[in-house]
Amino acid sequence: MLKRIWFIFIRDIRINLREFMTIYMLVIPLILAVGINFLTPSINDTSVNLALVEGENREQVRYFDDFAHIELMVGKQEVEQRVGARDDVIGVLSSGDSYYILTQGNEPQSVVEYAKLLNVLYESDVQLEDARSEIVEFGRTVPPVKKMLVNILLLLITMLAGMLISINILEEKVDQTVAAINVTPTSRRAFIMGKGFTGIVVAIVSSITVIFITGFYSVNLGQAALVVLSVTMISLIIGFLQGLNSDDFMEAAGSVKLLFLPMAGSIAGYEFVKGNWQIFFYWSPFYWAYRANDMILSQSGTWLQLVLYVGIIAVICAIIYALLAPRIAKGLQ
Amino acid sequence: MKLWSSFKKELILASRGFYFYVELGFAIVLMLVVLLAIPENFRTRTVEYLHLDLPSQGQELFIDALLEEDPGSSPETVELEAGGNIYEARLIQTEEQEIYLLDSEEAVRELADSERNPGIVVTLDSQNRLFYRYYLQGYESARLKNLLSIVFNESSEVLQQRLEQQEVRALTTGFEPLSDRENTLPPIVAFSGSLMGMFVMAAYIFLDKKEGVIEAYAVTSSSIGIYILSKVFVLLLTTLISGLIIIMPVMGFTINYGLVILLLLATGFFASVVGLLVASFHDNMTKAFGVIYLLFFILMVPGIAYFIPGWDPFWVRLIPTYPILQAFREIILPAGDISYPLYTSAGFLAAGAALFVLTDIRFKRTLRV
Repeated sequence: MLKRIWFIFIRDIRINLREFMTIYMLVIPLILAVGINFLTPSINDTSVNLALVEGENREQVRYFDDFAHIELMVGKQEVEQRVGARDDVIGVLSSGDSYYILTQGNEPQSVVEYAKLLNVLYESDVQLEDARSEIVEFGRTVPPVKKMLVNILLLLITMLAGMLISINILEEKVDQTVAAINVTPTSRRAFIMGKGFTGIVVAIVSSITVIFITGFYSVNLGQAALVVLSVTMISLIIGFLQGLNSDDFMEAAGSVKLLFLPMAGSIAGYEFVKGNWQIFFYWSPFYWAYRANDMILSQSGTWLQLVLYVGIIAVICAIIYALLAPRIAKGLQ
Repeated sequence: MKLWSSFKKELILASRGFYFYVELGFAIVLMLVVLLAIPENFRTRTVEYLHLDLPSQGQELFIDALLEEDPGSSPETVELEAGGNIYEARLIQTEEQEIYLLDSEEAVRELADSERNPGIVVTLDSQNRLFYRYYLQGYESARLKNLLSIVFNESSEVLQQRLEQQEVRALTTGFEPLSDRENTLPPIVAFSGSLMGMFVMAAYIFLDKKEGVIEAYAVTSSSIGIYILSKVFVLLLTTLISGLIIIMPVMGFTINYGLVILLLLATGFFASVVGLLVASFHDNMTKAFGVIYLLFFILMVPGIAYFIPGWDPFWVRLIPTYPILQAFREIILPAGDISYPLYTSAGFLAAGAALFVLTDIRFKRTLRV
């Protein structure tokens, strides 16, 4: 049986490679990983955007440039127009000997307060050279926003691998190849398992490559592979369920939409819900996967913790499988 | 007339299918999540570890200043664990911060390192002036570090006085911000409703291709254009109903529903035509899915910009989801700009119509018997 599953997997890979689909599914997460590398420095450097009149006060421009993003306009009217645009840009304009802050009126209070503080510090002649402070750093270079985006991407990869499995199975069902398997020595179960391997390989290879591309070189790859494998179990169940129990693509599309909710909810729960309230997300394998990934990417956990998280994912997956096994068996008939 | 009867037929078929009810059920779940799980306003506090290496009188003055928001209250004693050690701390909670007052610099350093929150040690320099030592992670931006370096150079009283005197002029007044719950509506409606149309439309087409419906159309007097359009209309109806299910219980009757409907239809039309166009280039769902997958990620980027004030680069504004999110936001804002959703709807209708012509040409070539 294992030999046949392997044969189907290899055949699937060959077919998918011929159609560039597997390569495509492997390449897309990598493009997204590069996208994360490109996005995060700019997000991390987010500060207040200030609009000033060009040539009016060069010293002030130089001063503000150390603390905020500066846009220079040719005149007062242009500054007003820029401030009136859709994004949050604050104007700093002269009025007699002093400067006033020009807002559109709909900016968050924190943005306005930051701009006020900068102008007060400038007018008080507080210079960086006079700083009465010292900054000690722990040498971490990966900002939390990047860790969060990479973690979300890792979950999406496994989820989409599940979708790839389901679409693969569905196409075989629609083409009635599954029925044709009955007249071959290969069982339908082996056939379906073989098809599932493509998704698993896509998930594991993509996840490990994403971790490298996004610069998490020093994470424990053994831990990462373990989490990816456990999350792939979720993908596998999702893929089989969707593929075997959907009669057409519309049903599969509907199931995909339903599955995005627990995944998005688990991420939001972990990131935004504090303290004991997180207990409400313990039922979700996505929650534990996200938590385990977060621990690995932050390099802050132990093997014992990781085994616990992976164990919980395995138990939840086993319960889901046990509950849905009759439906999977029915789908195989 | 043909379009109407084709639309009715598609609607009856859709109402017998699983997807139609998933869409409505999903909208109800989202509405319940927005109403019950998302608070009216998030109350997030930043955590800081502080050690005051000052004479006792200086410490008292410092703590009094921190407790200014809640005079008369006293810090609560708590225990914190880091690096296998237990540290006793006094917790001071303000509207925006949780400040843990610790007895040693080592405790601040240990906690800042393990919990990844900033730590501050306040001491005196050789001239008996306050000197601040910050423990930061290292990924903070240079601009933020610059500000931290000098922000306490002036005494807090002087700084506060000058901040109060700082003149602020606003171009418009009377702006009422959205609550955090209301603020989540535009991305939810845009991503769940309007944009899922891309994926669903492609699925619709491949389903009909496999079932031979397309071939059957070749022997009828109806055109491919009418067939596609009737599919789009069914999807638009589903998007409209699900969008309203999410928006109405949260916003009540305080917003202009004419604009909501217009924007939902225009953006849904655009997304479904994009889905059709992608489907026209591929012969199976797997391949089309690959392209939609990438498109979906690109379209999600303005969602990040939506939640981060100040991060709004020019290229993000060029992605179609940016104006969709902004237009939904303008509609639900108490004094929102009506013209923006109108222009956005017109733009998406025009772009959708142009793409539809292109898609029609593509399908006439590719959907053959």
